[in-house]
Amino acid sequence: MRRLTLAVLMGLMATTAHADVTVYSAGPKALIKKLADGFTKATGTDVNVFQATTGKVMARLEAEASNPVADVVVSASWGTATDFAARGLLLSYDSPNAKNVPDFLKIDGAVAQGVAGLAIAWNPTSGTPKPAEWTDLAKPEYKDLVTLPDAAASGATYTLIEAFVANGRGDDLKAIADNGAIVAGANKAALNPVLQGAKAAVFGAVDYITMAAAAKGETVEVIFPESGTVVAPRPIMILKSSQNQDDAKAFIDYVLSEEGQRHVASVHLMPSRTDIEVDRPLIGDLKLLSNDGAPSRDEVLAQFAETFK
Amino acid sequence: MSRGATTVGAEGSALLKWVSTLSLLVVVAIPCLFIVLQAVFPEIGGGSFSAPFSALYKTLADASLVGLAGNTILLGLGTVVFAVMFAFPLAALRALFRVPGALIWDGLLLIPFMIPPYIAALGWIMTLQPRGYLEQLTGLNLAPVLFSVPGIMIVMGLNTFSVVYFVLSRTFETVGARYADVGRVFGANQWRSFWRITFPLATPGLAASLLLVFAMAIEEYGTPAALGRRIGFEVLVTGIENRVAEWPVDLPGAATLSMVLVVMALAAFMLQRWLLERRDYRIVGGKPQAFEKRPLGLLSVPTVILFGFVSFLATGLPILAILATALSQTISGGLTLSNMGLQNFQELLATGSDGLRALGNSLTLGVSTALLAGVLGAITAYAVVKGRGRFRIVLDALSITPNALPGVVVAVGIILAWNQPWLPITPYNTPMILLLAYCCILLPQPVRYATAALHQLGDNLEAAARVSGAGPLRAFFRITFPLILPSMITAMILVFAVASRELVASLLVAPIGFQTIAVFIWQQFDQGSMGLGMAMAFCAILVTTLIPLALISVLRWLSKDSVASLN
Repeated sequence: MRRLTLAVLMGLMATTAHADVTVYSAGPKALIKKLADGFTKATGTDVNVFQATTGKVMARLEAEASNPVADVVVSASWGTATDFAARGLLLSYDSPNAKNVPDFLKIDGAVAQGVAGLAIAWNPTSGTPKPAEWTDLAKPEYKDLVTLPDAAASGATYTLIEAFVANGRGDDLKAIADNGAIVAGANKAALNPVLQGAKAAVFGAVDYITMAAAAKGETVEVIFPESGTVVAPRPIMILKSSQNQDDAKAFIDYVLSEEGQRHVASVHLMPSRTDIEVDRPLIGDLKLLSNDGAPSRDEVLAQFAETFK
Repeated sequence: MSRGATTVGAEGSALLKWVSTLSLLVVVAIPCLFIVLQAVFPEIGGGSFSAPFSALYKTLADASLVGLAGNTILLGLGTVVFAVMFAFPLAALRALFRVPGALIWDGLLLIPFMIPPYIAALGWIMTLQPRGYLEQLTGLNLAPVLFSVPGIMIVMGLNTFSVVYFVLSRTFETVGARYADVGRVFGANQWRSFWRITFPLATPGLAASLLLVFAMAIEEYGTPAALGRRIGFEVLVTGIENRVAEWPVDLPGAATLSMVLVVMALAAFMLQRWLLERRDYRIVGGKPQAFEKRPLGLLSVPTVILFGFVSFLATGLPILAILATALSQTISGGLTLSNMGLQNFQELLATGSDGLRALGNSLTLGVSTALLAGVLGAITAYAVVKGRGRFRIVLDALSITPNALPGVVVAVGIILAWNQPWLPITPYNTPMILLLAYCCILLPQPVRYATAALHQLGDNLEAAARVSGAGPLRAFFRITFPLILPSMITAMILVFAVASRELVASLLVAPIGFQTIAVFIWQQFDQGSMGLGMAMAFCAILVTTLIPLALISVLRWLSKDSVASLN
């Protein structure tokens, strides 16, 4: 019986395709699928994809460190790119297609594939007035009706909390917490109660996820507060350990090509190239909060946990 | 009937002993070894042994550890209490009386095994949260009950009580068949004979299933993550998962916390062992059994209501919530007719879709894991119960260890072990690695079931076979194995159900581009397609329930009811 099982599974092993570029990707599956298919069509090179959360991608990279498998990594957290660059894990590559990507979306070894913005997600059928500002969510109308993603689980929300702390707006966070806001896991776990109407608004919702839900017919709106917000660039990088650097470079070129950036826009992310026109607010349209002078990650997370305990 | 009498007269084939030892080494010991190495040497992933113990002290000295460990034990015990509360009355009624529609209830109570716990938790949230399905239908808002520590325990108790129900009802049945009748002949009334004879003799089954529930509860991730996070109730597993799943990842910290969890499970296991060794529980001799169940009489109606109520909570409500979400075009549209449609199912079942491939992959892996873990579990339990020597306790402990290891940590151990650059061939990045991971995670189930069954098997049957000229292997496969087969089939169905929907390990070790049911569902949720994910969950539950039910029906038909415990 065991031998038969083994034989069956050996057969399964034989059918596993060996592709040319191996990409570990966080973020929307639809996007990486379009990019992989488009790249294969354009170059004839196959792409094998491992898709998970940023954390799971990083955990797998860490566990594989003695024998790396991935060529290209796409993450949803810019901090992973600066960390990998500092540890000397990244291959320096300046794609010709990156010349229209603004400088703050590039470092040596990584470039933004696309950018997500942070916003308020609000359910218009919730019976609450439409919020315009972050601080509106501290008003009595929103008592016990606000969720927010855990800053430890969502890199994007972390960036927002960090900016609040850096700009001395810790009291605003406290007021929202005192108004009964609950921390509800990662981004989707914070949005779902708002869709069903259990809650009215998400503080620090990732915009493209909310826009995708709205495009599907969910009654939910994205509101960018005028006092400013933050963006979360999504780095794409080539590992220095890659055995297939030429194809990996070609993949980055494709992602930053006009066609690749259209795929990025199709999942409601902002393209990182400024010369691609899309029907949604872009980085230039948003007022950005500065993160200068923010304390260390541990301190920000400790303050977050203390505020929302 | 002295202590240790179970070993007298049985030999335990040396070959089986070696098969069991070698397999456990490969499947369990090697990943565990790398988890310990990871805890001690933080840089082991990069192949370096630098800075030993630095991370270990940091994690163990962390003040939050006491809280995490305390919450874990609280949750484990609470879940056991609720599981027993749900299972015990049902099992006793089912075993001793003619319950109307008994087979239907058994079928319904099998389904909680098949519902992935994180899906069930989501179903409960969608139903009970403010403006959830319950409030939409009845105006009732039970959110405060759900989002509380007892609420988590009740949901987890409902997810796990079937384990206790099936083991207990079968054991009660076997015991009730002979020994309780003897008690009644001597004048004990029905209750007295149950509490003085049937219940004590059922202790091995009860202890084994309670240990399983406790271990399942402290190892469970989905429910505490979905419900506990909302109220700030963190347990060890969520702490471990946070360290692995949230950047910056802390693999040494996760490995260290897992070791704390393993110590807890081993303590529970030692307790169970101690309980079992105090007495002799052998109840299956060689004599034929005939047992007439008693009619319920006036109690029929309340009994059926009780079965119906518990089945509804454990099976009906989560399935209905899953179905409602799968049929909804949008979540915000709510439960209105205009919002209902079959789009999600059409998209899922379109020919050549990712969904169908994922279903096929998971079913193949589930069946392979059930067969492999089942046979390995039976052999290991046999070597432990009927064998001799000190190695037995090592084998037994090794076989229970993965029960306490969160899937995500097993996954890390497996990557560390099987992605070493010097290995000439490796199952890593092939579906074989998932088979290894599932076998490691699920081996404790068949081992526990087989151990409980073997403890109740007298040695005289095997001795008779040996006297009649059969070798030890032949005696095992012709006499012992068929007698524990009913228990093994239950265990293998459980393994099949869990393996075909395992999430946390699959997410991390799945070969590149390879999808399983749970990974597919998770990816749909991740991109906001809750309805498509729930449609997949519903189809998966349907398929994983129908396959074992069909199997049981075929077996019953083949054996013409001679295998008593299958009904």
